[in-house]
Amino acid sequence: MSAIGLKIPLLRSRHVLPGFSLSLGFTLFYLTGIVLVPLLALIIRPFELGWDGFWTAISTPRVFASLRLSFGMSAVAALVDSVFGFIIAWVLVRYRFPGRRLLDAVIDLPFALPTAVAGIALSTLYAPNGWLGSLLVPYGIRIAYTPWGVLVAMVFIGLPFSVRTLEPVLGEIGRDVEEAAATLGATRVQTITKVVIPMLIPALLTGAAMAFARGVGEYGSIIFIAGNIPMVSEIAPLLIVTKLEQFDYAGAAAIGVVMLVASFVMLLALNGLQAWSASRR
Amino acid sequence: MSKKFVNPTEDPLWLKAILGIVTVGFIGILLLLPLVLVFKEAFAAGVGAFLTAIVEPDTLASVRLSLMAAVIAVPLNSLFGVAAAWCIAKFDFPGKTFLVTLIDLPFSVSPVVSGLIYVLVFGAQGWFGKYLIGHDIHILFALPGIVLATIFVTFPFVARELIPLMQDQGRDEEEAAATLGASGLGTFLRVTLPNIKWGLLYSVLLCNARALGEFGAVSVVSGHIRGVTNTMPLHVELLYNNYDYVGAFAVSALLAMLALITLALKSLLEWRYADELAAVHRL
Amino acid sequence: MSLTVDSVSKKFGRFAALNGASFVAPQGGFVSLLGPSGSGKTTLLRILGGLEFADSGMVRFADLNWLDMPARTRNAGFVFQQYALFRHMTVADNIAFGLKVRPRARRPSKNEIRDRVKSLLNLVQLPGLEDRYPSQLSGGQRQRVALARALAIEPRMLLLDEPFGALDAKVRKELRADLRRIHDHAGVTTVFVTHDQEEAFAVADLVAVMKDGRIEQYGAPTDVRRNPKTAFVSEFLAA
Repeated sequence: MSAIGLKIPLLRSRHVLPGFSLSLGFTLFYLTGIVLVPLLALIIRPFELGWDGFWTAISTPRVFASLRLSFGMSAVAALVDSVFGFIIAWVLVRYRFPGRRLLDAVIDLPFALPTAVAGIALSTLYAPNGWLGSLLVPYGIRIAYTPWGVLVAMVFIGLPFSVRTLEPVLGEIGRDVEEAAATLGATRVQTITKVVIPMLIPALLTGAAMAFARGVGEYGSIIFIAGNIPMVSEIAPLLIVTKLEQFDYAGAAAIGVVMLVASFVMLLALNGLQAWSASRR
Repeated sequence: MSKKFVNPTEDPLWLKAILGIVTVGFIGILLLLPLVLVFKEAFAAGVGAFLTAIVEPDTLASVRLSLMAAVIAVPLNSLFGVAAAWCIAKFDFPGKTFLVTLIDLPFSVSPVVSGLIYVLVFGAQGWFGKYLIGHDIHILFALPGIVLATIFVTFPFVARELIPLMQDQGRDEEEAAATLGASGLGTFLRVTLPNIKWGLLYSVLLCNARALGEFGAVSVVSGHIRGVTNTMPLHVELLYNNYDYVGAFAVSALLAMLALITLALKSLLEWRYADELAAVHRL
Repeated sequence: MSLTVDSVSKKFGRFAALNGASFVAPQGGFVSLLGPSGSGKTTLLRILGGLEFADSGMVRFADLNWLDMPARTRNAGFVFQQYALFRHMTVADNIAFGLKVRPRARRPSKNEIRDRVKSLLNLVQLPGLEDRYPSQLSGGQRQRVALARALAIEPRMLLLDEPFGALDAKVRKELRADLRRIHDHAGVTTVFVTHDQEEAFAVADLVAVMKDGRIEQYGAPTDVRRNPKTAFVSEFLAA
């Protein structure tokens, strides 16, 4: 035993627990191959023709319209999801009633359901001859195959983000704050609007940002219900697909870069929001 | 006559009624109605028509393709998740935050962009395009491309669950195992794995559901060749666009049932093993 | 077979946790590393256990170049401050762990392991708790299990990191006495970290008073108390 201790050269790894090089090596290798190299291809491609080429590819009316639709409708959908998400989270966290657990589980449906299935279901539902679409036709309201269809689909897929972000925060707000407001003479509604909701602002914003980010990039749930008319109801991801089919790789990549940058900005904003909300506790 | 005591932090009945109706109505109309419709349309022409649609050769081919993509992608991503969580949670090194951000990236990228990046690398005009054509290797419009796109959109699941979980659990038990003479693999199998098994199961469940249901990314790389490179979601699209509604909704019903089973298992795990899941504690 | 620690130093970033710590302990001795937080005592202990690497210095024990060996081969039983019991294993499995991971050649039979676990549980005065889980035990019980687990591998060195820190005074006194009794019975060289001087003086043969990564004074408890060498030592002991 002593021979082993003396004669082996100082080849020891610098870690007490084993497997560092192996796990880090594999992780980096995987990430590089699956994420970094392809992303690099995306970032480089539009600039093959230089900044001018990139700008030309982006600044067509059709591209602008699609970006406006994707970003604009996502913002509206995020707002709708925040409002209803708050109400739903309130009911699910604060009230007790039979079937509450079941209702809570259903919230995750847009997470679990494949987007294509959601897409054709929503499209059939809101089409002029669909269960809901037919109810609205007499009022002149058309949802499917119009930008409003895009909105409905985005609200559908964004809802879980809003609810799931609010639920834990709502659960943590102590009753004593509300009791204090009550002793000071506030009605229940006043308490909710003046005391509780301000405390929820970081969570509301986080949920809205996540719903927004998801809506901007969404494809499968939207293309069936949207109508996909260029300049009217064509979302940016669809335009990317169309350009690919026309072998306009650079054009597709250009839009892709715009969306990637938007995703990055959203990621940073979300991290900042979470740091802000953590510091407020 | 004394007034009945009203709990000051409880909502008045009228408020409860309004909020309750809005909640149930919103969830019912927005979320449940589409689900119900899927099953109703699937069986609109009877159970026989449903079954015929399911066993149709192209449909079965799509099921096989989806399963194959999942069978390859999920274990690989699980391995990645374990490796990433191990080095991030049990060791200190610079650049950890960047690594974690990189791992989170596919969740914030549009599925279409997720597929686009592989077209840009392996497509005819892509970086390796000429090389692949020259050697008659097919990545896009074939299984490899589909598997790659599936891997990209699903690999964060396991890592995102295991990293905070293993960070929470710390290094103490592994250090103790080292002092007691356990080897690296022995420590991992006997000490670490039992501690993360529910988190692993939970995230594999979600990873699998997403792998089978992914549409946008796979759509871009697949080529949509009927009976050959269509996964189940792509096949649904094909049938729907061909006005075969019973067929489209029949396959959708299969996917919807898978979704419901996933949801049920997910809820079960969250309910019974909340302490052993990072996801439940994360905001 | 003494334990010789020679000028061990370690930095964390720019912070010098250990700054040339040295001491010599006889085979079977009971040494206490005593000092305030930040004095480097835990770092030194972890280096002895193979859980940290020294930047410089040497340790010789049992004729071995101690620092060159990985933790796994040192056979140094380590008792952690927060117990570090394997939460998914029963008490019996926890204690038996070091025996079960041995290569086949050196692994005792199932029956031997079971008997060993039983006698260790008796030794730490927890008879009959084989099938409990750590979450079902009190703090004092968990620490006894941790001690039994470290002893199961028949260690040639026993290292304890503020093992009684999280326990109340009465339990601490009992465990302290038990630890001394076990040490005397097994004759194993023991190094024990604490910030509580009453504890150090009650239980150890040799006390090393540490400050800022160095050993200010080292000697038998009575000697150190009567003849403090530096102002810090006399202030620390007076407190």
